Amino acid sequence: MDKPEFLTAQLIVNAVVVALTIHVMLLTVAYLIYFERKISAYIQDRIGPNRVGLDFGLPALSFLKNVIGLGQPLADGLKFFLKEDYTPSKVDKVLFSLAPMMSITPALMGFAVINWGGVWNFPDFTIPLLNWHIEGGPVQVAGANIGVGIIYMLAIASLGVYGITLGGWASNNKYSFLGGLRATAQMISYEIPLGLALLSALLVYGTTMPDQIVRQQVSEGWMVLTQPLAAVIFFTAILAEANRAPFDNAEAENELVGGYHTEYSSMRFALFFLAEYAHMLTSGALFTLLFLGGYHLPGSSLPGLDLLSPESTTFVAVVAKYAVFFTKVVLVICFQMVVRWTLPRIRYDQVMAVAWQVCIPLALAHVVVISVALYMDWRAPWQLFVANVAVALVFTALQGRVGIPSTNKRLPLYGSRFSPMPGEKVVTGPTNPVALEDRPVQSLHAR
Amino acid sequence: MSNFLATSDLSSYLPIFLVTLMAAGFAIANFFITMILGPKRDGKVKGETYESGMVPMGTARKRFNVRFYLIAMVFLVFDVEIIFLYPWATTFPNLAHGDSNAIIWLSRIFFFLLTTVVAYVYGYRKGVFKFD
Repeated sequence: MDKPEFLTAQLIVNAVVVALTIHVMLLTVAYLIYFERKISAYIQDRIGPNRVGLDFGLPALSFLKNVIGLGQPLADGLKFFLKEDYTPSKVDKVLFSLAPMMSITPALMGFAVINWGGVWNFPDFTIPLLNWHIEGGPVQVAGANIGVGIIYMLAIASLGVYGITLGGWASNNKYSFLGGLRATAQMISYEIPLGLALLSALLVYGTTMPDQIVRQQVSEGWMVLTQPLAAVIFFTAILAEANRAPFDNAEAENELVGGYHTEYSSMRFALFFLAEYAHMLTSGALFTLLFLGGYHLPGSSLPGLDLLSPESTTFVAVVAKYAVFFTKVVLVICFQMVVRWTLPRIRYDQVMAVAWQVCIPLALAHVVVISVALYMDWRAPWQLFVANVAVALVFTALQGRVGIPSTNKRLPLYGSRFSPMPGEKVVTGPTNPVALEDRPVQSLHAR
Repeated sequence: MSNFLATSDLSSYLPIFLVTLMAAGFAIANFFITMILGPKRDGKVKGETYESGMVPMGTARKRFNVRFYLIAMVFLVFDVEIIFLYPWATTFPNLAHGDSNAIIWLSRIFFFLLTTVVAYVYGYRKGVFKFD
């Protein structure tokens, strides 16, 4: 049997990276949930999960019994499998089962084009038994080396909205339906600022290939420093895209119980949950690649420390780059978690108003300014930085003057003291005589 | 440098096929494992729609706010526009400074953006972006 023509060193490395990274991702996603619980616990002055060890009840492994709850994700996963997978009687059964799968599949596909480890100088080797000779050479340590580059990630990430919409619709539950609608509207709205912020980054890079993007950041500085405005818009958009707080109106507990996954149980619920975290991981990887220099660390161009420079192509360098990249991604996600447990949830109309009245005009103006700057050949990092700051300042100055309200409108609410419904008589203070008597100050006056 | 550029032939998409298979396999396997392992108990009340413990009123298949529809429409306009901008964004900065084509590339795309801005202003005046 002859060697098939497409079997190159690049393809082999791609396949290995895909097979490895999807497992690394699934494990990381499980532990991200643990991280989230730990971080929220520390922020709220609790301890968090700290009981489940990794000893699996075996005496031989008893030294793994007290490992700050590291066994929790595994126990949770097992428990999900053993719970009842219930389908309520009034749901659309096919779509109800399909929705979680349609949610997790794109979430696990998006990472493929990320260049985790730069370039590897692959050695020549021959596959034993088949006697196929594989020609070595520099190969990309990425899941897939395709021409569209990171545009693929956007395409796949926007497929995630189908699972949520279908889940909300198929449940035949008002909470789910409203949650699904909200999530859909929010995700598609924030896709536009996401795309526009990415566009202003791509305008400077002039390419969509991940490896080239990292190389340019190594030589000209990380994009988060040269284009901070694009980074801020992008980060806001990925928070909203993944339905993360402060934009988690789709699953606002006090309004919608659980949002689109109210009716789900067992592993089908867990698939939605995993999809959210996988989505965070993918978007965190995209943010790291575009704005945080990928696998690059400051100082890695110095002699002796050049393991992380794009020119080192040994296997050790590839592993080191992969580790640095993944650490950065996890740090970005930890920042998202701190944001979640710090900021209160934004009201839904404000979420949408931020997308359509602030983020989109701002990002559009940013793209225009950056393209003019490129036309004038102002490509130096400080010039781009000045352009970013100028756009942000001018937009802030204009806000409130061109029809974008900078203050909150008071919505009339039934029973509200501050903004009552029209025609409603508002009674301030207690009317019940018993309640009046309970108040020592008032009863003193009565005497 | 030619090695660093992605090939345009379809075989470079084989890993995408692989990752699709693995992701879909994960989803389907999980779905069936929990179906087999989990207990099965059913009941008339258990099958009811969850509405905070109340007896469900009507169905969720109701008319919903038209605003979501408007958002979807406006989204289409913007998203398609952005998709057309990506090829431009990857080629335009590679033009040499002082290239006589550059001003044409820039002004054409600005005209294209202007059509979207007109759509945005129209939608804004019509109150598409108001959510209260």
